[in-house]
Amino acid sequence: MQRRGVLGAASLLAVLVTLGFAPARAQQEPIVFGLITPLSPPGETALGQLAKRGAELGVDYINEKGGVLGRKVALSVHDSAGKNEQGVAAYRRLVSSEKAVAVFGFIHSGVNIAVNEVAKEMGVPTMGTQTGASDVTAKKYDIAFRTHAVDAPRAAAWLGWIQKNKWKRISVIAETTDYGIGLAKETEKQNKDKNLGLEIQTIMFDRTTTDLLPQLLQVKAFKPDAIVNIGVGQPLDLIITQAHTTGLLPGAQMVTSYDAPARPQFWQLHGDKGVGINFIAFYSPKSELSDLGKEFAKRYQAKFNEPPVYAALNGFANAIVFAEAIKTANSTEPKAMIKALEEGSFTGWSTSPLTFPRAEGPLWHNWSPPLMVLRYATKDQTPATAEVAYVLGQ
Amino acid sequence: MIFSTELLVQTVLSGLMVGVLYALMALGITFIYSIVKTINWAMGEFYMIGSYIQFVAVHYVLGARWWWLAAIISAAGTFLIGLILEPILIKPMYARPMQRRDDYATVVTIALLLLLRSLAVALGGPNQYRPESDLPVVWIGPLPQEGARVAAFVCALLALGIFWVVIKKTWVGLALRAAAQNRLAVQTSGVDVYRLDAIAFAIGVALAGLSGALLAPLFMVFPTNGAVTTVKGFEIIVIGGLGSIPGALIGGLLLGLVESLGAAFVSSPYQNVYGFLLVILVLIIRPNGLFGERGREA
Repeated sequence: MQRRGVLGAASLLAVLVTLGFAPARAQQEPIVFGLITPLSPPGETALGQLAKRGAELGVDYINEKGGVLGRKVALSVHDSAGKNEQGVAAYRRLVSSEKAVAVFGFIHSGVNIAVNEVAKEMGVPTMGTQTGASDVTAKKYDIAFRTHAVDAPRAAAWLGWIQKNKWKRISVIAETTDYGIGLAKETEKQNKDKNLGLEIQTIMFDRTTTDLLPQLLQVKAFKPDAIVNIGVGQPLDLIITQAHTTGLLPGAQMVTSYDAPARPQFWQLHGDKGVGINFIAFYSPKSELSDLGKEFAKRYQAKFNEPPVYAALNGFANAIVFAEAIKTANSTEPKAMIKALEEGSFTGWSTSPLTFPRAEGPLWHNWSPPLMVLRYATKDQTPATAEVAYVLGQ
Repeated sequence: MIFSTELLVQTVLSGLMVGVLYALMALGITFIYSIVKTINWAMGEFYMIGSYIQFVAVHYVLGARWWWLAAIISAAGTFLIGLILEPILIKPMYARPMQRRDDYATVVTIALLLLLRSLAVALGGPNQYRPESDLPVVWIGPLPQEGARVAAFVCALLALGIFWVVIKKTWVGLALRAAAQNRLAVQTSGVDVYRLDAIAFAIGVALAGLSGALLAPLFMVFPTNGAVTTVKGFEIIVIGGLGSIPGALIGGLLLGLVESLGAAFVSSPYQNVYGFLLVILVLIIRPNGLFGERGREA
């Protein structure tokens, strides 16, 4: 008798599910955005954390405004640790198991490029939050989008800064990743194509190397006017430290290839040796923000008690752009979202609207932020008080 | 690549300096193996713990001037952790009859590696830190060196010297050497070998902790900072010979030299590859390492 009762209940449940109770529940389930970002070493964890903060505030903002297509948005965070295979596994899980409709948060170009190879088969669009290598978008995959400066404008920024200061001998010290190789080659290419007449020494290194003194002794022997530091994470800091030891700094000028010195722990790591460091930045607190950007900056300051930096701004903007694309497409179907992204114009943190045209080369599906070189002239400066040493295009 | 005699001398000195620091790590691995007959795969994590203790002690408690006291505290701290962990993790291997001891040791120490690394991320976050150092740059011939690196070099040599004296001139050292040669004979002489195992394990990880503390101002503090150093340690014990203390020192110096010279004058991106080429060369010429002894099977 008891067994018959259980069977009856099971049959009733099956009928209810068939008649549509399950789809009704699915309607209430949130739309999932995936965030694949480095949250543990050897990845660039500081940027990963910042991108995560921005993305979380972005999702909160979207949900406060009523969500998307009547549904809430949920953010599923996965740690890539800066490793390609870990990033790819996270993407597969997000798309297959968690039914994510958009994936962003990428900081390491290698991870973004590897994920895009899988994404072009699985179909869910990706957005490079802070990945600079050309191949992230230059392969012209329908699913590949990016909101970051590619190799060419970035190299143009430090070459412009070098030209402005009339320096001639340049050492480029770069890690052997997609990011480092791409930027080193682009610097040499622009020197040749634009006939800048710079004498460039390029030294590549494995990013797992713990001691870069042999490489920096070579740099010292070259007697450069300026050094372009293309390390990411720990190698970047190691180059700064050991360049001081060899006596390269503070004599020569050094520019880092991204805004790592904007991280709060920069001064704890380097103390007085951080003075005089220049860095490529994509945003300065002196930059003008859109209304949405101002709203984000206010919320970020209130929550974290510090002003937002670029990775956080981009993490926020990525979430907003995907939400707007879904609204425009009126669907979470990948092809409809991709069409909406290609044809639309979106508001992010910058006053310059975000567009993703089917342009040539690495500018395919790419929105580039403004680029500048900031300089720390005194200890404990922040990006807000740093000198603007050069602005690309001015 | 630029070449000059001065650059060559600078590069050789730089290689020797880093080689001694590598040797300190290798010594811990080889010492534990020679007594406990176990490869400790979590050695890098004790290096990491040492570096974190150094950072906390210098940054929050003692200040930069007392870096040497912080280094002693770091070594003592990792020694204590080793003394606590050995009876829990390694002793069961000997206390109970067990087939496949090597497999057990590998699984246990790799599990420990993952646990300690995850704990570091959970407690300290994934960010990098650096204990302050007020030691000035020191010129060694034509080579400028961070004061912290010179201090680490001198302390490493001192630690190696103390280690040698303890092993060669004390009763504990005699017992440890006897256990390395024949555990059964030592046991039948009434010596508590399990206690010796714990002491050997603790001394080995304390050497790693000391390396981490000394190198923290140079190579920074973060959850995976011991990973590369462990790989170097294993390369050195293959070069020098597993269980050989002079082998650890000579292996470390050779590895440091080969990496520095290769990176400076051959091709920089392959800096880590030169060490492996040296390992392969040694394995071809002397499969037991430069100072290793041929194993005896009963």
